[in-house]
Amino acid sequence: MASSSATEAKNFVMLTTSDNADIKVEREVAERSILIKNLLEDLGGESGEAIPIPNVNEAVMKKVLEWCEQHRKDPPASQDDDSDSRKKSTDIDEWDQKFMQVDQEMLFEIILAANYLDIKALLDVGCKTVANMIKGKSPDEIRKTFNIQNDFTPEEEDQIRRENEWAEDR
Amino acid sequence: MSSGMPPVPAKDDVKATWTYLEAGVEKIMTDLRGGMDMKTYMGLYTAIHNFCTAQKAVAGTSFSSHNNRGGAHLLGEDLYQHLIEYLKAHLQGVQARSKDHVDEALLIFYIKEWNRYTTAGQYNNHLFRYLNRHWVKREMDEGKKNIYDIYTLHLVRWKEDMFTGTQESVMRSVLKLVEKQRNGETIEQSHIKSVVDSFVSLGLDESDSSKSTLDVYKEFFEKPFLAATGEYYNNESKQFLAENSVVEYMKKAEARLDEEKERVPLYLLNEIMSPLMRCCEEALITAHSQALREEFQILLDHDKQEDLGRMYKLLARIPEGLDPLRNRFETHVRKAGLAAVEKVAQEGDTIEPKVYVEALLEVHTQYQDLVNRAFNGESEFVRSLDNACREFVNRNKICKSGSNKSPELLAKYTDTLLKKSTAKMTEEDDMEKLLTQIMTVFKYIEDKDVFQKFYSRMLAKRLVQTTSASDDAETSMISKLKEACGFEYTNKLQRMFQDMQISKDLNTSYKEWCQTNIGDDDLKGMIDSTYHILGTGFWPLNAPTTPFTPPQVIVKTYERFAMFYNNKHQGRKLSWLWQLCKGEMKANYCKVSGSKVSPTFQVSTYQMAVLLLFNDSDTVEYDEMVEGTKLGKETLDPSIGVFIKAKVLLAQPEGAKPESGTSYKLNLGFKTKKIKVNLNIGIKSEQKQEVEDTHKTIEEDRKLLMQSAIVRIMKSRKKMKHQQLVSETIQQIKNRFMPRVPDIKKCIDILLEKEYLERLEGDELGYLA
Repeated sequence: MASSSATEAKNFVMLTTSDNADIKVEREVAERSILIKNLLEDLGGESGEAIPIPNVNEAVMKKVLEWCEQHRKDPPASQDDDSDSRKKSTDIDEWDQKFMQVDQEMLFEIILAANYLDIKALLDVGCKTVANMIKGKSPDEIRKTFNIQNDFTPEEEDQIRRENEWAEDR
Repeated sequence: MSSGMPPVPAKDDVKATWTYLEAGVEKIMTDLRGGMDMKTYMGLYTAIHNFCTAQKAVAGTSFSSHNNRGGAHLLGEDLYQHLIEYLKAHLQGVQARSKDHVDEALLIFYIKEWNRYTTAGQYNNHLFRYLNRHWVKREMDEGKKNIYDIYTLHLVRWKEDMFTGTQESVMRSVLKLVEKQRNGETIEQSHIKSVVDSFVSLGLDESDSSKSTLDVYKEFFEKPFLAATGEYYNNESKQFLAENSVVEYMKKAEARLDEEKERVPLYLLNEIMSPLMRCCEEALITAHSQALREEFQILLDHDKQEDLGRMYKLLARIPEGLDPLRNRFETHVRKAGLAAVEKVAQEGDTIEPKVYVEALLEVHTQYQDLVNRAFNGESEFVRSLDNACREFVNRNKICKSGSNKSPELLAKYTDTLLKKSTAKMTEEDDMEKLLTQIMTVFKYIEDKDVFQKFYSRMLAKRLVQTTSASDDAETSMISKLKEACGFEYTNKLQRMFQDMQISKDLNTSYKEWCQTNIGDDDLKGMIDSTYHILGTGFWPLNAPTTPFTPPQVIVKTYERFAMFYNNKHQGRKLSWLWQLCKGEMKANYCKVSGSKVSPTFQVSTYQMAVLLLFNDSDTVEYDEMVEGTKLGKETLDPSIGVFIKAKVLLAQPEGAKPESGTSYKLNLGFKTKKIKVNLNIGIKSEQKQEVEDTHKTIEEDRKLLMQSAIVRIMKSRKKMKHQQLVSETIQQIKNRFMPRVPDIKKCIDILLEKEYLERLEGDELGYLA
């Protein structure tokens, strides 16, 4: 069975997260990350050496890999894919919506990790989720949602409001 | 860390970050073979990521920052500029080392460095991907010039800092290598291929870095390559021609062209194919086209098909290369045709039609074969061949009396083919082939109307005398003529055919009519007879030239038929063409040698009238014959002559001329071995007369043809200039014959006189309805 275990080893890679946890994952799943894909392409990935992921911790990594597992068979995003339709719509498919039902902290961690690991589709889903949280809210509500302190002076705020009057949805 | 890389630097420290990155990039550039571990790889990527995502860069960057645009502020320019500086310095070193190499060693060096550099470029492109995705993308989206993704940046630097300084020596080495190969040495082709690929990669589109162009390759590879090729073949071809024959040279040139064509897929870019071929053709063919063309006549004279084919292929490759050949070819074929006719003309005035037509065909066949084999059946050469053939068919030694000699002889030849003859029984396939050959010559005949005249006369004879060999062959020939000249041309010929069919049916119903309307006794005494009813307008036949009183027994026979015919078709007039009639008579007074059968004489109706006189008396005076038959002397005398010669009649006194006072005695001791004796032999003077008549009617018909064409044209145009009318008329009838301008003018005059046309002001003519 030596030969079959060898092929098996080829199909799995080990990731080491920032908090030193080792996660074994199928290569195909890990390669949803363009960073990991390029790295494996460049270095071969035959050595069995663990891939260090210094910017992502175990909890987030697992969450990200869960998404990658779900989307392992998605066609690779083409160069022009981010144009028009997909970019404009804030529609998110059902599984992704459920997936994104996490606390805000985790949501932002996922977005950062997707950006770092170069997983464009996940980054999009994350950003859309945030966009949906903003949509239809007043500035005060937004501040409340994201726990932002209003650091504008009343004068500044007034000016900004006047400048953006045209965009108000009346 | 195992690789010895320092830990990932603070994310907002430009200097520390670059120092960290530079070590990594240096390793990738110079020691990729040494391997790179995952930690280092991730470390480099992460350092760039962290730097670009830092809130603020530490001030004091060495590059002037002009990031004061609206919107989010993206970091990365510092790293980009540092990388540029690094690459510049790195390539300076590479270029300096390239100076140590020449020729093939330089190529090997260039290719090795190029491969190393581009591989490293791809690595860096991956490591700097975060920079590509954000800072570079933003810069490019905003239309900034001279910002490229990291891989393209590598290429741009190579082009600026390496390529510009070395391409000339690299190309020199490439061209030396190619020259070696052209001289028959084996070379490492992959070197050149790699150089080509490298040059192509450097063709960046300035306006869109995602696209590439062939500009660099064209300027720095293709151009010098073509120049060297041209020079090489200029020299080689000059030298080769100085030492070898043109025929040998053509082989060499052909081989060289093939060789160059094969070279392209081996290590060149497909795009070079057509300029390379043009360049080679220029040096190998165009430069020596004069010498080649001079050889053409010699090759023609010796019928060197293979060499002619080679010359054709070579000259066909260059623009207008073949034009002079076509002219020479045309002249050559014309001369060959004239010479062939001259040769057969030596045999005397009365040339056999077969010999003449075959002489024409032989020349045509030979050169058509040449056109097909050597000149690829090219339409321009076919046209030259046609021009030449038209010339020698219509204007040669035999035709010097007039161009209507060719159609006459051709028609006669056709007649001999289609006529029944015991000598040859042509197979159907062969017959078809021969008829096709006739059409080949026919195609070139200008006076197609002359052919038509002779042909229809001979066809009439074949039909009336039932000497046609095969109905199929006749039909085939007519349909061929129809195909070539149209319905009108063969209309009468077809009508003649129809008449024959109708006559056949008529004879059958006549026989039936006789059975019912004539008493048995009468029927027994009747002469067996058949009739051909020929439409007056369609048959080229004339009324008899001599007066004639038919014998009583024949009168009775035809009157009976006339009665039947008038019953059937009222109001039609039958006139009898006695000169074409014939019959058979049984000579009961003698026997065929060695049998008990009496011989049968085949005779003309005139002869029949003469012989019937001997039923009443064994001796008949010449004057009695004249009295009994009323035949003119020019018909009667030759008819008697045949009998004398065959010893059917004996002149008294012996050897006396046919004139008053001579008497003729039936030769009761006539001896023959044949059951049928043909005495109906054509009379020479009659045949000659016929030819002359035919020619005369042609002149008449032509006048009518021209006049009707003129009237047709004027009817549709109403008004026309004289000159225009003449040329239009020529257009319309030139496929029948070539009209002469004075003849047309004469016809116009006739029409003016007859008031079909009128003279208007200036040079114009008008049509009078």
